[in-house]
Amino acid sequence: MQASQQSVRMPGHAIRVLIVDDHAGFRASVRRLLEGQGFEVVGEAADGAAALRRAAEVEADLILLDIHLPDLDGRDIAGRLVEAPGEPAIVLISSRDIDDLDDSVERAGARGFISKAELSGDALAALLR
Amino acid sequence: MIAGPRLVWPLAGAGFAYGLALVPLLVVADVAADQDVWIALTLVIGWGWVGAGAFAALRRPDNRVGVLMIATGFAFYLTVGERTDAAILFTVGLALDSLFAASAVHLLLAFPSGRLRGGLDRALVAGAYVAVTVGSIVPTLFVDPAGFGCGACPDNLLLIESNDGFVERWFDGLSVTGIAILLASLVLLARRWRRASPPLRRAVTLVFVAGGALMAVLAGLLAFALIDISTDALDVAYYAVLVPFGLLPYVFLGSLVRARVLRGGAVGSLVATIGGTPSPGGLRDALARALGDPSLELAYWLPASEQYVDAQGRRVELPEGASGRAVHRVTLDHHHVAAIVHDATLLDDPELVAAAGAAAALALERERLEAELRAKVEELSESRARMIKFGMAERRRLERDLHDGAQQRLVSLALDLRLAREKVRADPDRAEELLGGAAEELTDALEELRELARGIHPALLSDRGLGPAIEALARRVPVPVEVRSQYDGGTPEAAELAAYFVVSEALTNVVKYARASRATVRIGHLDGAPGASLVVEVADDGVGGATLDEGTGLRGLADRISAFGGRFEIDSPPGEGTTVLARIPFD
Repeated sequence: MQASQQSVRMPGHAIRVLIVDDHAGFRASVRRLLEGQGFEVVGEAADGAAALRRAAEVEADLILLDIHLPDLDGRDIAGRLVEAPGEPAIVLISSRDIDDLDDSVERAGARGFISKAELSGDALAALLR
Repeated sequence: MIAGPRLVWPLAGAGFAYGLALVPLLVVADVAADQDVWIALTLVIGWGWVGAGAFAALRRPDNRVGVLMIATGFAFYLTVGERTDAAILFTVGLALDSLFAASAVHLLLAFPSGRLRGGLDRALVAGAYVAVTVGSIVPTLFVDPAGFGCGACPDNLLLIESNDGFVERWFDGLSVTGIAILLASLVLLARRWRRASPPLRRAVTLVFVAGGALMAVLAGLLAFALIDISTDALDVAYYAVLVPFGLLPYVFLGSLVRARVLRGGAVGSLVATIGGTPSPGGLRDALARALGDPSLELAYWLPASEQYVDAQGRRVELPEGASGRAVHRVTLDHHHVAAIVHDATLLDDPELVAAAGAAAALALERERLEAELRAKVEELSESRARMIKFGMAERRRLERDLHDGAQQRLVSLALDLRLAREKVRADPDRAEELLGGAAEELTDALEELRELARGIHPALLSDRGLGPAIEALARRVPVPVEVRSQYDGGTPEAAELAAYFVVSEALTNVVKYARASRATVRIGHLDGAPGASLVVEVADDGVGGATLDEGTGLRGLADRISAFGGRFEIDSPPGEGTTVLARIPFD
């Protein structure tokens, strides 16, 4: 499941992304941003339950998982999403800064954490390398 | 049926006259050897019952004990009639010579309230009356006095046919019935005494002892009659009955007088105790001692909040009707001060409670003031806790609003700007499009921040006052809102702010849920005890059915108003619009 930065650049082998966040406006911005940088957005989910369902369907390489979902805490389902088909890497996101969160992000089984405002293809690629 | 005070005098007069009239009849009659003894007994016992009964009836006209005692005296005169030469008196005496016993049982079971309490009481008393009337009249029809060896006796006017065998068997049955009723009454009396509260026990002990002795001796007499002991022994037993029966009215009088003396002493020592500076709870203890009721409680009246509190200032409810507790309200200079909550049996001596209450009124007022102060402190600390809790909840709500609103928009904005920067050279059209979207996003974020800032503190309220601030609020609402203000300022800003938020939240609900075509906002002052209030009302013509359930904006409003010690009301019948009213006190 080790994704390489190379695959980001290679058409047809784009990294398949599932975006999990309850704000539609933010999901749309992320989709525009990532698609502009060669990612393939294969699905969106607005809450934890939908995330678990979609993850089982789409075989994503990467799941962008908001920590503060309306129904669940992203940290609590990261461990389960890793087991989903395609064995996706989980990157937790939040509009809060990493300084406002404790070490539970590291313990959640995620590849890493990116503050929403700092989200970019390069930042993701750096985490996935 | 209770005789009014005006009936007591003629009744008592008739009782004394009847006894006196019997004396010459007893003197001329030559029925038995102990005639002179009976003359004395008639006056001592008969007058005793009538006199004590009259005293009790006058003292407590609403209690039928007195009338029952007078009736018992008359019943005794019927028995005495048996000892006269007059055939009619003799016959009536023969037929009803045990009526006094049933009347005494009735009185004792009804003592001291004058009412029979339970089904068993009523059954026993009814049984006793049937036994001494029907049960005694039937054999009278078959008794020939001459046949019993009383040649000097007058005729039995009711005699049909002499039948000694029948009469004897009948009396055996009657005796068994009588013994059963008497023993059951005795048990009931003993149980009642054991269960009595201390003040009740103090009031009834002497009467119950004499009454219990009467029942026991009566049962013994009936038992003797059953086993056919000698006539002499029976006569002795009969006199033995007359001793407790004759003593009873005097015992009753004695206990009344004793209660009066005790009352004087109790109130005297109460005055002495509270003259000093009683320790906390000392006043209650002193009153409890004076009234002989350890269960006594005091409730202080707080006119401002229209409630009773205990000495600690905590709210208490007065007991309702049939709880075994009674309430005496103490006033000082026409002002209600406190309520003495006591055992209902003390009502048998209401003057005692009233006297003690009057003696303690000043001390009660002093403790009332202290309780009022404690209640105020309690209320303040509660409202402070509510304020703090409310403040915390507000902060959490603000953080959430910021996080979900402006912050999300700014995050999206940051992403879009980054994307635009990447596109600006390669795809200027796309970049322009993205920047246009970003500008719109920024405008929305700014508006959201403004809204939020107004939610924290509306600038217009500080600058121009409540009326203009609410009018501005009304203009932003997409439903026609009429603002009727009879308010011209002069209220602390905190109260104005609370009023503003009531209107703001209520109008938000009108837009979100009410499906109303129009709404009206009223603002006004309300002067009155305990102080002035700012009043706002928001009414709409929508679907109604709004509730104060947890989690609704209205719930939050109610909490905010209660933090001010104000009142918040919703009237929202389904289909008939919603009216939200808030009264915010200020001083």
